[in-house]
Amino acid sequence: MREQPSERIALDAMKAWKISAHLVAIILLLLTIGAFVAVYFLDFVPYWAASIFAGLSILIWIVSAFIIPKIRWRRWRYQVYDQEIYIQNGILIVTRTLVPMIRVQHVDTQQGPILKRYGLATLQISTAATKHEIPALLEEEAAALRDQISELARVEQDDV
Amino acid sequence: MSEPKRLHPAGMILDILLAIRHSILGFLPVVAIALANSEWLILGIGAAVFLGLIIVSGVLSWWRFTYQLEEDQIRIEKGIFIRKKRTISKHRIQSIDLSQNIVHRMFGLTKVQIDTAGNDNDIDAALSAVTMADGKMIHDQLKYKKRVEMDEIKEESGEITEEVEAKPKKKYPSKKITLQTLVAAGSTSGSFGIILGLFGVFFSSIESFIPDRYYTQATEWLISQAAQLLVIYGVITLLIVWLIGILQTVIQHWNFTITRYDKELFITRGLLEKKQSTIPLKKIQAVGMKESIVRQPLGLASLYVEIASGDIGQTQDTHTLIFPLMRKKHITKFLQEILPEYHYTTEGLVKLPTRALPYYIVRSIILPTIVTIVFAFTLTKFVWIPALAILLFVVYAYIQFKTTGYLINGREIIIQSRMLTKDTAIVPQNRIQSLQKKQHLLHRKQKLATLDASILSKFMGRHFIVRELRQEDVDRIADWYSFRDKAE
Repeated sequence: MREQPSERIALDAMKAWKISAHLVAIILLLLTIGAFVAVYFLDFVPYWAASIFAGLSILIWIVSAFIIPKIRWRRWRYQVYDQEIYIQNGILIVTRTLVPMIRVQHVDTQQGPILKRYGLATLQISTAATKHEIPALLEEEAAALRDQISELARVEQDDV
Repeated sequence: MSEPKRLHPAGMILDILLAIRHSILGFLPVVAIALANSEWLILGIGAAVFLGLIIVSGVLSWWRFTYQLEEDQIRIEKGIFIRKKRTISKHRIQSIDLSQNIVHRMFGLTKVQIDTAGNDNDIDAALSAVTMADGKMIHDQLKYKKRVEMDEIKEESGEITEEVEAKPKKKYPSKKITLQTLVAAGSTSGSFGIILGLFGVFFSSIESFIPDRYYTQATEWLISQAAQLLVIYGVITLLIVWLIGILQTVIQHWNFTITRYDKELFITRGLLEKKQSTIPLKKIQAVGMKESIVRQPLGLASLYVEIASGDIGQTQDTHTLIFPLMRKKHITKFLQEILPEYHYTTEGLVKLPTRALPYYIVRSIILPTIVTIVFAFTLTKFVWIPALAILLFVVYAYIQFKTTGYLINGREIIIQSRMLTKDTAIVPQNRIQSLQKKQHLLHRKQKLATLDASILSKFMGRHFIVRELRQEDVDRIADWYSFRDKAE
């Protein structure tokens, strides 16, 4: 765990994350509009509360859409060895995870509408007790990796 | 092999009692409302109908429940409207436990609990009441007949390399608790907090049944007593609660005996309710010892195992006691006899670096500090109370920091930590499901890292988290854990 893993996830991951951040921002925008409407029609809602809410929404939007995706992408790395999977992620707290192949119970790929648009898929690795993810890999890459891991994980399991 | 059999009729009584016990809590609010409105008639009719339903369904489900022992499987049929047939093959059975509560004992019966490997409780089967002889028969039939063959198969696949090679008719090592230890366990159990809580619930619930007149009278009388007397009452109450705690432990763990067989641990215990549990060695994920703040100065500890899933074990506790209490210095010997696969030692435990201490202190005083600030603005007079608490939390953090450590011992890692109770766990490398190293910015600057090793346990899995170890220590643990060839 001294060196970081070698592989990066797909570059388009940043775009996908940006879009989902925009979607969240739209919801926040609607809420903000709602807040101002409330200020207009209801006496007991003070103007400054709505302003603070608007400010916070903008802040969240900027941070989540323009700052975090880049850092997150840069941090996300993985490497698949024959005996184990090595993953690094995290924005403020960097987490490095080792998952031995003989502990892997199953591997899934998963794709939501946003990821699909960019031809990406998320790889999920489950052990008996924990669940790990490599998000936003290229579709073919994710599928290949899934097959590779499930092949490697077939080494005989000593119990559980 | 044998005809389909019904359970002993006393099973009906048990089922009905159980159903009543389960539903009583749910109906309590309804009953309370009905009582408050004095709707005696409706309450009475409701209760009668409900009781009737329970009894009818109890009788019917007893009628429809049959079991049948076959060559190497047990077949169970049950269900009133939806018939369920289940066949459990002998080879899938992990453990069969017989237990008896008071009703069982009155009729000379036993409950048979059959556990399979799955995590799913539904798959497991329980025969709630059969005669003792039948229970023993089922147990022997399903468990021991083909035992030898199975062992051979296992041996061929090279699974057993331990020194537990079976000598013919050997005596299995066994440990039994003495009454003295049991009383010691009870008096240091610290469960009086819980009992005190129960007391509280009890009194607050009967409070509504006492007419107000008496209540105010009692309160007045209480207040009229001198303060010293109140203290004495308090002490007496505590003492009683403490004694109840001891009694509870003694009843629960009466004659606690653990026996080591070739591939499993076997525990029997209990005075009123005799319980057996079988813990297959394969299911044990970690062994640990707990020293509560009361027990630690006395050099006492309790031993437990973490098991992967299943219904094995005593209560809803996440782990299973394998010995309620013993002297710390006896643990090494105990493990050698009962669980020679696990080794306990704390010599050369790697402690935390001093630079980790501030993190521990800051983490633990955040909450009391907030409280203090709130007090400073609102109850300025009493601000010294939370301020004192901060000091207490600093001491706590320091002790926590002092306790925490790890030790790599061959293929096992020993992780020592403390919430309030000191917990030392022995985890084999091949039981760790995944390993994480976590660092934030400050950690990276100071070359510290947090370790998170997860194992499988009864519910979600348990995480062993050691905060602020030296970075190189975590890397060393990762190297130890890694299955990769170190040559690369």
